[in-house]
Amino acid sequence: MEFLSNTLVLSRMQFALTAIFHMLWPILTTGMGVYLVIVEGLWLKTRNPQYYYHARFWAKLYILNFGIGVASGIPMEFQFGTNWAPLSEAIGNFFGSIIGFEASMAFMLEAAFLGIMVFGWQRVNPYIHYMATILVAFGANLSSFWILVANSWLQNPTGVEFIEGEFVVKDYFQAIFNPYMPNSVLHMVFATWETTLFVIGGISAWYILKKRHEAFFGTSLKIALAAAIIIAPLQLYIGHLSGEQVYHYQPTKLAAMEAQWETIPAGVAADWSMLAIPNEKTQQNDWEVKFPNALGYILEFKKELSEPVQGLKEWPPENRPHLLGLIYYSFRIMIAIGFYFAGLMLVSVIQWLRGQFSPEKITQQPWLMWGWILAAPLGYIAVECGWTVRCVGRQPWTVYNYIRTEDAVSNLPPGDVLTTLTLFASVYAILLFAAFYFGSRIIRKGPDFDLPLPGMEEQPPLKTEPGEFMPDERPVEAQQ
Amino acid sequence: METLTYFLPQVWFGILALFLLLYVMLDGFDLGVGILSLTSSTEERRGILMTSLSNIWDANETWLVLMGGALFGAFPLAYATILSALYIPIFIMIFGFIFRGVAFEFREQARNKLIWNVSFGVGSFLATLGQGFALGGVLKGIKVDASGHFIGGHFDWLTWQTILVALTLIQGYVLIGSTYLIWKTEGELQNIHYATAKLSAVTTLVGAVIITIGTPIFSDFARERLFSKPLVYLFAVIPVLAVVLIWQLIRSLNNEAERTPFIWTILLFVLTFFGLGLVVFPYIIPTQITIYEAAADPSSLVFMLIFIGALIPVMLFYNIYQYFVFRGKVTNAHYGE
Repeated sequence: MEFLSNTLVLSRMQFALTAIFHMLWPILTTGMGVYLVIVEGLWLKTRNPQYYYHARFWAKLYILNFGIGVASGIPMEFQFGTNWAPLSEAIGNFFGSIIGFEASMAFMLEAAFLGIMVFGWQRVNPYIHYMATILVAFGANLSSFWILVANSWLQNPTGVEFIEGEFVVKDYFQAIFNPYMPNSVLHMVFATWETTLFVIGGISAWYILKKRHEAFFGTSLKIALAAAIIIAPLQLYIGHLSGEQVYHYQPTKLAAMEAQWETIPAGVAADWSMLAIPNEKTQQNDWEVKFPNALGYILEFKKELSEPVQGLKEWPPENRPHLLGLIYYSFRIMIAIGFYFAGLMLVSVIQWLRGQFSPEKITQQPWLMWGWILAAPLGYIAVECGWTVRCVGRQPWTVYNYIRTEDAVSNLPPGDVLTTLTLFASVYAILLFAAFYFGSRIIRKGPDFDLPLPGMEEQPPLKTEPGEFMPDERPVEAQQ
Repeated sequence: METLTYFLPQVWFGILALFLLLYVMLDGFDLGVGILSLTSSTEERRGILMTSLSNIWDANETWLVLMGGALFGAFPLAYATILSALYIPIFIMIFGFIFRGVAFEFREQARNKLIWNVSFGVGSFLATLGQGFALGGVLKGIKVDASGHFIGGHFDWLTWQTILVALTLIQGYVLIGSTYLIWKTEGELQNIHYATAKLSAVTTLVGAVIITIGTPIFSDFARERLFSKPLVYLFAVIPVLAVVLIWQLIRSLNNEAERTPFIWTILLFVLTFFGLGLVVFPYIIPTQITIYEAAADPSSLVFMLIFIGALIPVMLFYNIYQYFVFRGKVTNAHYGE
């Protein structure tokens, strides 16, 4: 138990734990934010109350997520200063400004309009409410953008000069739009959307399987599926592009992801390692299953590599990532989940086209519904695996090729860090349990169809036919 | 160049002070209401207390997130040194935030609300306590080496002066929380908080007086600063203004005014904050590191000023709008439905 007295290891564990836990919550708040914009928009357009009840039902899960997301996000921001003071000082010029942008442009917007979105149904007119919903979703997705800008710059620090241990920004445009960024942002944003789609689809499938509100949840399943038609395959392609980036910018990470010890020269075809047991002591894989000639197709869609793939042995052990098994298998699990999603989408679309998604027939496909239920947690696992590859694979660097993680850590008494780490582990375990408990209660209870429809109170209740309802078209000010 | 190296850090000192002031006022009443919830005798009352915050607590807390981000970007050295030096108080605050933040939604869902009531009240208390120690710790001074890195011990922030600051901050938050509840509630609940407001006004005053008198006695730096010209005139005016404001506050409480107690309290917070700012400026870690030494590169300060600076009025506007949407008394434990 030597690590208990090692501040570096403890601080890393704390950052990893708090980051892994925090990541669970914004996934749904970003993705479901967009979903809520869609269903509320459909409600405003069609005035079909079903969509309104969709907005209200899913928003419950949304809020449950949001509170934990906020609470677990604050430690992330402050930990840079508390546990990684030397790093903060070195990267503050750029990284700090980006964190400031995230707070001022994105997070404040989300937090301020969330109140109106959740509690304001009867207090503002439906169009103002819709604007609030849009701004909340916009804020959440903008947060993803800035956080990924900040992280991508750590992966590939461009636009800066490293002067006396401190990064001075020479070109903000280059630093923000560094070549590593656009794909990373897309990959993450799509990951939150895709995970959300399969969470919504999975929960809907559970209701359908239980024959509760089949028509209602058939709608949400179809919305999720329709979006997945575009998102699931596109995410696979963006994932491929992200792999290509690692190939170009972070050779050590690629070698670790592939457990590749020897360098493969350009112009040859190489096997792709499917399963392996990497051994860092002997510097080789103890056991391996290979797919012949596949590496070139995976990296570049052609048989021969145009650039060499450098092996781990190119670098001395202190300059390579460790925990190879973790990096190697996280990567493969993420890919497997991505393909599972695409496959499930394909099978479901075929069934939909065959007319099997009508309210009468949809309950008769338990295997397909189980496929969706199984998919609900998978997105989370894929996201966590992806971040593991991204950040463990970047080691030993915190700022790639500039600042080593061991030089980034604050000089703290290990006991202090061990105390906070233990507290985080226990508190977060309780929160996870509570979130599951209350989340499953919300789901078991189901949607509440007795909620009053907003903006309709002044309508005479019985004399009007549904078709005659005229939306209030006066200017916003006149309506209040 | 001269203007850039002096003017920009000063502007950012001002912006950070604004964020911190907004935070202390807004989350101050938020946390104060949380602490007061520990004294609520019924679930209904506690429900109203939490409902009065449910739509705003995360936006209020965001001012701190914003302050943290802006400090990180504008004064990286101060961000790094202060946070690593105050590791324990910062994490007391963070765990407090976690406990209270999750309590809003979990309590709403739970059948047995006790654990989340405790989580909310104790969390609010811990968050305030951590902030009090952090504030005290910074004002007391942080031990650093020549390059500004923390070299002190991990309990340096714990002295009788910082305990006094923390206790006074708790009183101050209870005071502003009470006056907020006077504004937002009615009937018996309002009466209770007239009482808590009066009590906490007295205890805050006692703490503030001891700190005001004690600081120049125990701190050479503060003494020199307070009695230097021309600042001495300003520092002579501040206590006079404070007395006037406290007088007005107590009068408004005795007259059972509904809104003015909150406004007088806000003004008291602004005045205190202004006084503290004058003592501290141009240091960001008193007597050790000035804003000029800790400031980020001018290019970063300009860049941040363009984006964050321009957003300040926008953020203020929509925050005010959302207070406007939820104006009026909170009469039951459910908003909007």
